[in-house]
Amino acid sequence: MTRRSVIRRLVRHPSGLIPASWLTLLVFAAVFGDWITPYDPNEADFLALFEGPSFRHPFGTDELGRDTLSRLIDATSVALLAGVQAVGIGLALGVPIGLAVGYLGGWWDRIAMRIVDAIFSLPGLILAFAIVAVLGPGITNAMFAVGFLFSLRFIRLTRGSVLSTREEPFIEAARLSGAPTIRVLRSYLLPNIAGPLIIQVSISFAAVLLIEAGLSFLGLGVQPPNATWGTMLREARLNQSQSGWLPWPPGLAITLTVLAFNTLGDRLRDVLAEDPASSPPVVPPAEFAPVRPAASVDSDTTGVSGEAFEAVYSLSDALLQVRHLDIEVPTAVGPALAVRDLSFDVSAGDVVALVGESGSGKTLSATAIAGLLPRQVNIVGRSSILFKGDELVGSTDDELRSIRGAHLSMIFQDPMSSLNPSLTIGYQLAEPLRSHLGMNKAQARDHAAELLSRVGIPNPRNRLADYPHQFSGGMAQRVMISIALAAEPDLLIADEPTTALDVTTQKQVLELLVQASEESGMAMLFITHDLGVVAEIADRAVVMYAGQAIETGEVFETFANPRHPYTRALLGSVPLVDKAQKKLVTIPGRVASPSDNSPGCRFVDRCSVSVARCSEAPPPLLSLPSAGRIVRCINPNGSPDGSPTVSSS
Amino acid sequence: MGRTVAYRLVAALPLLVLVSILAFALVHLMPGSASETILGDGANPEAVAELDRALGLDKPLVTQYFTWAGNALSGDFGTSPLTGRSVTDTLTERIPVTLSVAIAGLTVAVLLGIPTGIWAALRYGRWMDRMLSLVTATGLAVPNFWIGILLAYWVGVRTKWLPAVGYTPFAEDPVEWVKSLILPGIALGIGSAAVIARQMRGGLLEVLDRPYIRTARSKGMSFRRVVVVHALKNAFTPVATVLGFQVSVMLGGAVVVEQVFGIPGIGGQLIRAVIEQDIPVIQGVVMFTAVVVIVVNIVIDLSYAAFDPRVRVQ
Repeated sequence: MTRRSVIRRLVRHPSGLIPASWLTLLVFAAVFGDWITPYDPNEADFLALFEGPSFRHPFGTDELGRDTLSRLIDATSVALLAGVQAVGIGLALGVPIGLAVGYLGGWWDRIAMRIVDAIFSLPGLILAFAIVAVLGPGITNAMFAVGFLFSLRFIRLTRGSVLSTREEPFIEAARLSGAPTIRVLRSYLLPNIAGPLIIQVSISFAAVLLIEAGLSFLGLGVQPPNATWGTMLREARLNQSQSGWLPWPPGLAITLTVLAFNTLGDRLRDVLAEDPASSPPVVPPAEFAPVRPAASVDSDTTGVSGEAFEAVYSLSDALLQVRHLDIEVPTAVGPALAVRDLSFDVSAGDVVALVGESGSGKTLSATAIAGLLPRQVNIVGRSSILFKGDELVGSTDDELRSIRGAHLSMIFQDPMSSLNPSLTIGYQLAEPLRSHLGMNKAQARDHAAELLSRVGIPNPRNRLADYPHQFSGGMAQRVMISIALAAEPDLLIADEPTTALDVTTQKQVLELLVQASEESGMAMLFITHDLGVVAEIADRAVVMYAGQAIETGEVFETFANPRHPYTRALLGSVPLVDKAQKKLVTIPGRVASPSDNSPGCRFVDRCSVSVARCSEAPPPLLSLPSAGRIVRCINPNGSPDGSPTVSSS
Repeated sequence: MGRTVAYRLVAALPLLVLVSILAFALVHLMPGSASETILGDGANPEAVAELDRALGLDKPLVTQYFTWAGNALSGDFGTSPLTGRSVTDTLTERIPVTLSVAIAGLTVAVLLGIPTGIWAALRYGRWMDRMLSLVTATGLAVPNFWIGILLAYWVGVRTKWLPAVGYTPFAEDPVEWVKSLILPGIALGIGSAAVIARQMRGGLLEVLDRPYIRTARSKGMSFRRVVVVHALKNAFTPVATVLGFQVSVMLGGAVVVEQVFGIPGIGGQLIRAVIEQDIPVIQGVVMFTAVVVIVVNIVIDLSYAAFDPRVRVQ
């Protein structure tokens, strides 16, 4: 970014323009102060003491009848010069020391940073006092003291930049190519450090102004009769019984100026952070059209025979009915649909697997059903989620709350981060028991111990008082399961519950889940990318690709006779132990991104049997009632014009 | 617990030694010797040499340092050449007053900052959050002594609800003691309240994005319960860190605010000492401040254990 464009962007937003204007005004007042002050700032007028604001004296007069506005303007140059002095000294001392310490490293670094940290932990004002005591009062000495203290900030900043620049791969590469470290650092460090330094300078200016005002207020800075905002407040305080007006102008001047420097520093940080070099590349408009959910959904489902679709999906006893679920996520190029037109059912007691690669939208879908989507991620379009006949989309958090935990529970991928580190297991387990089942403390405790023993945790009663970090990953997931099952829900959503566990534990946890489901007739929506797990536990499978369900059916049927090319490819990529395979089969290409709204099939680029028609229009959602199957493909039999060979396993 | 405290104390020793060296060095950084200062300009060189001997200033620096540090350890910071009083006496008389002001400021900062931060976080991105971020930005920019002057006049002088100047010791009248500390506490605490509010807001927002919050919600816990029981405790750790740093800020700020309200803390003595180059008083104050900072840091370290059970075990 050029310097000009930084400045232009800085003032484009009010948070940059307003402080920049105010500071420009101050600089103007400081430079031309002598010409623009309406009165001599030190001229007394004993006929006009303690006057309030008037036409003659817009900001009133002080105890000697001096014009407050003139004194305020006169003080500007002192305030700014003091800031320049202190920050200048801070820079002059801090940057070289920081560079040296960062460059030398080792013991130099450790000792210097120890000293810096130690001084930093003490009150700056008291240290400034000590230095002023040695040098004697006066604004120059005071600002030297402050500058010395602020050099610590610049030492920290510069040292940090040197250290992080040193570790950049290109520095390493340049060094390996034989260039001396110091020269390499010199040419790369400056651009890296300039931004943070400017920000720090702006913020330091603010802090210096406050300290300068404080020291002058105490009589240790600028000496009377010279006006500074601090000494004006000192005089206002001495005369506070005479006038309540006097402290306002200098106090406001200090506050506004400090606020301006701070805000400018923040704004500068934002501007430098949005540097195009560091932000993701902007996709040209041609490739990206903003999402219009309703339209895209409609076009997606064209070609489906309405009757056939509803025929399959009109299973009235379904516990959970997800229809046309669209989920919008924020991306660098604007909102995009990460889940598109997802429809499926979970019947009471059924185990349904939601299968797909990472990025297929399966976890997002599961989270949406539980109403636990993160901020800024929204269900859009004509989505509907019916749970036990109640519409969940659009329900308030309070309405969802009576369902969550009690009728619908969820377990997550990483049990360790999913348990609250600062509460005991017993407490976390007792919560749903007390709020959903209305147990009292003692009952909840007993029942919690029983639940823990049911999921196979040895010595459950004693473990209730333990914290999550005292459990292994597998044990923690068992705890999570016992929490989720506590109120005996009708549906358990398990989001990759075994992925973070080691292989031996995985099997035990799976068995536990299946057993729980069979014993209580609890339905389960199982999110996974592991086809082996699906085959083992699920009744039905919903295969997801790039945000869409591309094939749905009975697990056995689907695996034995996959209809969608993606499902076929997915099954083909599973390494089989009993077959001699020469190499791992992979699906070439990459998953279509959520912001990719090209008209055709989302799998077309990776499909081995695609035809021209596939990239022209979205494939229809075909229901194959005979096979109890729904497939999103124009060529579900893998035959005629594509002429692929369906490999039967 | 005992072992943790002992360990932290040992770890704090280098800081104490470093500060003591700096404090000791003050005397020698000054132009002219202490004896010259005491005896005044144009003093007889023999008299200066005599006083040097009497004060031990003719001995090697290292010897002088250990003598000074040894005395300081036993609570003796020497005598102020200005007042002829023992520095330790001055400190024990004035420090409790300054600490009262600092604690009042800290109380205001916590009582104001924490609820503001929580409130802003729960209204994240809405206009109230934006308003509060402007308010805290202003809070960071107002000079504490200006707030003090305004409060002293508009509340103290005008309404007479609270004293505009002066200080009543606790032993004399606890109610008056509290009343005399309210305005100074507000003046001193507003800036730190802004810092704490910002940290609290950021900390709470970060915690609310953690997976265990999603778990608590998935259990059907109320929003209130999720925030109060599950999020706040975990969000306090970074606030505690900032709080420790604010104690140091309070000690410095108290010196200034005391002047606004005419409170007889260490501030007046210190400012006089700075102007008159009364080094022993300054050394005493610096060393005392360092000790307070160290003790506070240890307390903060221990408080982490209260917020986070993982720290307790280690």
